[in-house]
Amino acid sequence: MSWLHIFILFPLLAAVIIPILFKKIPRVHTGWFVLVVPLAVFIYLLTFLPMVAGGETAMYSLPWIPRFDIHYSLYVDGLGLVFGLIISGIGALVVLYSIYYLSKHREALHNFYVYLMMFLTAMLGVVFSDNMIVLYLFWELTSISSFLLIAYWYARRQSRYGAQKAMLITIFGGFAMLAAIIMLSIMGETFSLQALMAQSDQLVQHELFLPAMILILIGAFTKSVQFPFHIWLPDAMEAPTPISAYLHSATMVKAGIYLVARFTPFFGGAMEWFWIVTGVGLLTLLWGSLLAVKQRDLKALLAFSTISQLGFIMSLLGMGSAALYYGGGDEAHLHSMAILAAVFHLVNHATFKGSLFMVVGIVDHETGTRDLRKLGGLMSIMPISFTLALIGSLSMAGLPPFNGFLSKELFFTGALNAAELDIFRMETYGALIPIVAWTASIFTFVYSIVLVFKTFFGKYQPERLEKEAHEAPWGMLISPLILTVLVVVIFFVPNVLAHYVLEPMMASILPPLAGEFDIHIEAWHGFEPELFMTIGVVVLGAILYATLRKWIVLYNNMPRALSITNAYNSGLKGMESISRKVTDWHMTGFSRDYLRYILVIFVVITGASLFLLDGFSIDTANAANINGFEIILSLVLVGSTAMVVITRSRLTAVIGVGVLGYIVALFFVVLRAPDLALTQLAIETVTVALFLVCFYHLPRLREKEEGDGINVFNLIIAGAVGLLVTLISLSANGHRLFPAISDFYEDAYELAGAGNMVNAILADFRAIDTLLEIFVLCIAGLAAYALIKLRLARREQDENQ
Amino acid sequence: MEILMSVLAGVLFMAGTYLVLAKSLIRIVLGTAVLGHGALLLLLTMGGLKTGAPPILGIESTAYTDPLPQALILTAIVINFGVLGFFLVLAYRSYQELGTDDMEQLRGTEDE
Amino acid sequence: MSNIIVLPILIPVLAGSLLILLVKKHRIQRFMSGLSAIATLVASLFLAVYIYTNDGIAALELGTWPAPFGIVMVADLLSVTVVVVTSLVGVCCLFFAFRTMHRERERYYFHPLFFFLITGVNGAALTGDLFNLFVFFEVMLLSSYALIVIGGTKFQLRESFKYTIINIFASMLFLAGIAYLYGITGTLNMAHIAERLDGLDEAGALPVVAIVFFIVFAMKGALFPLYFWLPRAYYGAPIAITALFGGLLTKVGVYAIIRTYTLIFTQDVAFTHHFLILLIAGFTMLLGVLGAVSSFDLKKILAYHIISQLGYIVIGIGLFTPLAMAGTIFYYFHHIFVKTSLLLFSGVVERITGTTDLKKTGGILKTHPSLAWLFLIPALSIAGIPPLSGFFGKFALVLESLQEASYLIAFVAMFVGLLTLFSMLKIFINAFWGEQKHTNKQAQTPIMDVLAPVLPLVFLTIIIGVGAQWSFGFSMEIAEQLLDPSIYIDSVLKE
Repeated sequence: MSWLHIFILFPLLAAVIIPILFKKIPRVHTGWFVLVVPLAVFIYLLTFLPMVAGGETAMYSLPWIPRFDIHYSLYVDGLGLVFGLIISGIGALVVLYSIYYLSKHREALHNFYVYLMMFLTAMLGVVFSDNMIVLYLFWELTSISSFLLIAYWYARRQSRYGAQKAMLITIFGGFAMLAAIIMLSIMGETFSLQALMAQSDQLVQHELFLPAMILILIGAFTKSVQFPFHIWLPDAMEAPTPISAYLHSATMVKAGIYLVARFTPFFGGAMEWFWIVTGVGLLTLLWGSLLAVKQRDLKALLAFSTISQLGFIMSLLGMGSAALYYGGGDEAHLHSMAILAAVFHLVNHATFKGSLFMVVGIVDHETGTRDLRKLGGLMSIMPISFTLALIGSLSMAGLPPFNGFLSKELFFTGALNAAELDIFRMETYGALIPIVAWTASIFTFVYSIVLVFKTFFGKYQPERLEKEAHEAPWGMLISPLILTVLVVVIFFVPNVLAHYVLEPMMASILPPLAGEFDIHIEAWHGFEPELFMTIGVVVLGAILYATLRKWIVLYNNMPRALSITNAYNSGLKGMESISRKVTDWHMTGFSRDYLRYILVIFVVITGASLFLLDGFSIDTANAANINGFEIILSLVLVGSTAMVVITRSRLTAVIGVGVLGYIVALFFVVLRAPDLALTQLAIETVTVALFLVCFYHLPRLREKEEGDGINVFNLIIAGAVGLLVTLISLSANGHRLFPAISDFYEDAYELAGAGNMVNAILADFRAIDTLLEIFVLCIAGLAAYALIKLRLARREQDENQ
Repeated sequence: MEILMSVLAGVLFMAGTYLVLAKSLIRIVLGTAVLGHGALLLLLTMGGLKTGAPPILGIESTAYTDPLPQALILTAIVINFGVLGFFLVLAYRSYQELGTDDMEQLRGTEDE
Repeated sequence: MSNIIVLPILIPVLAGSLLILLVKKHRIQRFMSGLSAIATLVASLFLAVYIYTNDGIAALELGTWPAPFGIVMVADLLSVTVVVVTSLVGVCCLFFAFRTMHRERERYYFHPLFFFLITGVNGAALTGDLFNLFVFFEVMLLSSYALIVIGGTKFQLRESFKYTIINIFASMLFLAGIAYLYGITGTLNMAHIAERLDGLDEAGALPVVAIVFFIVFAMKGALFPLYFWLPRAYYGAPIAITALFGGLLTKVGVYAIIRTYTLIFTQDVAFTHHFLILLIAGFTMLLGVLGAVSSFDLKKILAYHIISQLGYIVIGIGLFTPLAMAGTIFYYFHHIFVKTSLLLFSGVVERITGTTDLKKTGGILKTHPSLAWLFLIPALSIAGIPPLSGFFGKFALVLESLQEASYLIAFVAMFVGLLTLFSMLKIFINAFWGEQKHTNKQAQTPIMDVLAPVLPLVFLTIIIGVGAQWSFGFSMEIAEQLLDPSIYIDSVLKE
């Protein structure tokens, strides 16, 4: 058990104490205690930075279920470590922020922080796990904690809806991922990621390669809200804003990105991977940015923006995978720029988006609304928030002097490089990539400006606000401030980041090129096409913003029916109604139907197998003879049976059954079973008597039934059953393989002192059967007695107890 | 003889099944009785018919009929009787409480 | 020493008999009842340890008549584990019943019937004779007919009639099946049958007889297409009884399938196991979960889940490899723990709110958080979330399905898992979240006394999940013993 194992579980363990602290020390906001946890993890993780920056990795393993090759193994490399730092660092900032955001009087803080800590452990587990099953475990744990956090205010219906939606979609992805993991383990005979990666060359040809790839991508896309699985993110905004800032922009939604990055060494280089990842990423990028523009709720705008930005990063990972096709050399390095852009933007996005969410939370907290139509003119009232928001938005739009500008430029570089590819059939479609990238960037610019301008510029409308607006308390401003500072600092010293953070990450994603990276990020590198693209974005974006009111009505023409979230909703409803129909169709409550289904299926399966498997046979060799008396008996039997079936009078039916019983007794006599005959006579008499007693007490029962004649369907089924019974009987008879064991019982006198073998069996050899049959009678008696005596009235209060 | 008995057992099963598929409670109960008889005949048949004298040692003989199925049948008769008795009481009480003998009317609604 | 094999049967039967006399004396009855249940559990554990440390199998000839002429009790690893789990679940449900069962029902033989039921189950698990199996089944069934109708409400009468008729029909078929098998093999002792059938060239009518038995056991085990009686019948009975049935009764049918299909009916594995059983498993899972999705009542949803999960359990038998069988065994026990605890929890919900209709419940998280969180654990387990036990069961079965290239069943298994999660979420969202719909007075209902009996079961689902190395290892041992019939045969016939 290494320190890393402990630190990852630390939040979960702390979660146990949190409710106690909440109850016992209510005067201090629980968040202060909780703050220690992510901070401690962050500091611990920093200690790994020098090692990783130097190009080394570490593996810590703790056996758990060796039988299945499931171990609690942790792997520390650039990719995992940077994610870990983001998770714990932003986690600390979010906890700090939440101390001011959530009132300690009104909120159930113990729940909140417990869920949050659960999430922290889970997320750390995802990015550090080397064992795929354990990764899956932590992955699902993030889904669960996200579920609990989204519906933190569970009395609201919207919150519950959002939580359910997120859970269903991400768990669906999780199951797909599990299937993929199992497939991969079958292929590579291991659950260890590193061990799997080592075999990637041999496994490319395996028949499960493509299915596993697709399933892993489904898992990644559902978690990272790629099209068409993005629909859960806007509804997840029901969560308290600290959560939206943390889970749903900086960490959990990046888990899918992590997964794609982590698996790039394995799947990258394949054409399908390139196309799916890039394609879906670009589509998401464009779709998100288009939809963000029309949002009126600040958080919804940010949600769609996040969707778009995640598509941005995803598409870059796709484009960069081309580097693995080349394996090494200049071509590879060219395309590795896309990977650089991806990881760089990963970090940048965390900074500016986190800050923006927090500022939006501040606005919401201080004015009581997030509706853009009601906000405006807050610049003078909340100057600091305004500054933070401005910086964040401009970075998001991709303008200097902010980090977003640098990664946007690299994005364009990557897109242009990708367009130059002549593999993967890019010659035909390659040009699309930069075009889509550029178009989406324009819209990104537009919505970024919308965010800032509509909130802070314009007219202040106090009458439409719920509270009197004022600047946020200092405590709430610290966290976004720190992030914003990073936004600026990174612009000026990107290469420090590059050396310590970005290069190790790239080494994990493109192992063949590790150690050869020589990254220099510069703000200005001449009048390259990228610069012109950026200028174009600004110009066109500004124009579009100015004319916003004119063309925004185009959105109304988008048919509602095509909306994916509507598809989801109707899908759910449809499933419920199909289930209901199917269930109602066969669960009719009518026992006859049940029996019919059962019998039909029984007849079909058994009959089919009788003939398909050649089981049928008739053997008349050893058949006993038949004499006249027996034939008469048979005829009487059949006759009385028919009478029982046909008669309308219940009384006659009962008498008929009695007669039947007596005939059977006679058969027993003929077939050399005197004991049986005696018993049968006795029992049959009692049975008939019982029936008659029944009729005596319930005279109406004795009446003739309203007949509905012979039910043909029932007759057919009954006939089939009878036929089947006979056929199997004949076959079994014809297939006697072994002599019976009964010779043993002929020594009954010596063994048991009895002259009657049957009695000996009953009383001695198989006495336990007899004992039990007595108990059966006893139980029947008890049950009958209880049934007659105990009648709980319907209206009694605990009748169901 | 075996063929005849197999056929008879089949007939009984057919009749029993037909009764059990009926709408009236009493008929269903009767059906189980008939089914029971059919099962007993099957047990006897499978033991081999008329292969010897009745299995009592007092009767001198070279071969005896198989006593084992006979013992099984005795046990089965008793058990079936117990079950039938209970079943009849159940039907009786159901009729008393629910007022009808017709299974179709006893489907019950979803919400109860 | 091997006489202790009968203890898990003897103690309940004596207890039941004694309790018949005590019905009028309420407190003594409860005391004796609780004591006997615990005694049965202790005896089962003792037996289990004994068996495990002594070759893993032992046989007892009743009356010292040699097998196959007398009746033999056989305790192998599977039987012994079934007996332990049965006794444990019995204890939990009984103590739950103490808190919730209507006094009148207790006066009318609830306790004796309870113990006779346990006798039947334990006996079925321990017997080595086919006809004896039938008799124990009848003991169990008749007790169940009685328990399900005890109280005599209209609803109960109606539904139990349907339950009874279907089971009686199955019993008749059971007799027919025994007749056929005796005709072909000439013996009733299961080990002896297995020995005689070993190495048979031509299967003849045997697969057909195998199918007859399968239908019989499937009827009792609520598999497709034979489960129709279950949801309504379980709905009407008192919750302690429903929990008992849901956890135990259906499992006995599955136990019988496992026993016969590993010991006796292994002649045509491709048809009976791979084709037929897998097909039925798939349909069962699917139709069961669709029933759950369409319901809006807590008890009904859980009842449909029973059906669906039984389909899962049977997959392993269909695949018939050691890992798959181990998955089946593991899932078998996991399901008992999870299902019983969920049903008992639904009883607690009913106690608080007076209903199990999800449209009328809400906000329980606020007033009874412990119930909510405790409920969540088995709920997640049943959906297959690691590291709870449900995950490992599903994992093993899906893994084997993919290994054996049965892609369709793997897909169905995962799809059904998703729908299972959906219906569990529905319960959580509607009953525990949401606005509080029960009165403030109801919010004060104390529940610690009813939660306590359920805790061991919840605890177990966590333990056997996290400790999968041992619990699954044990399942593997059971599976390996099952797949080698010679162990069973030798133990019985060479004694």
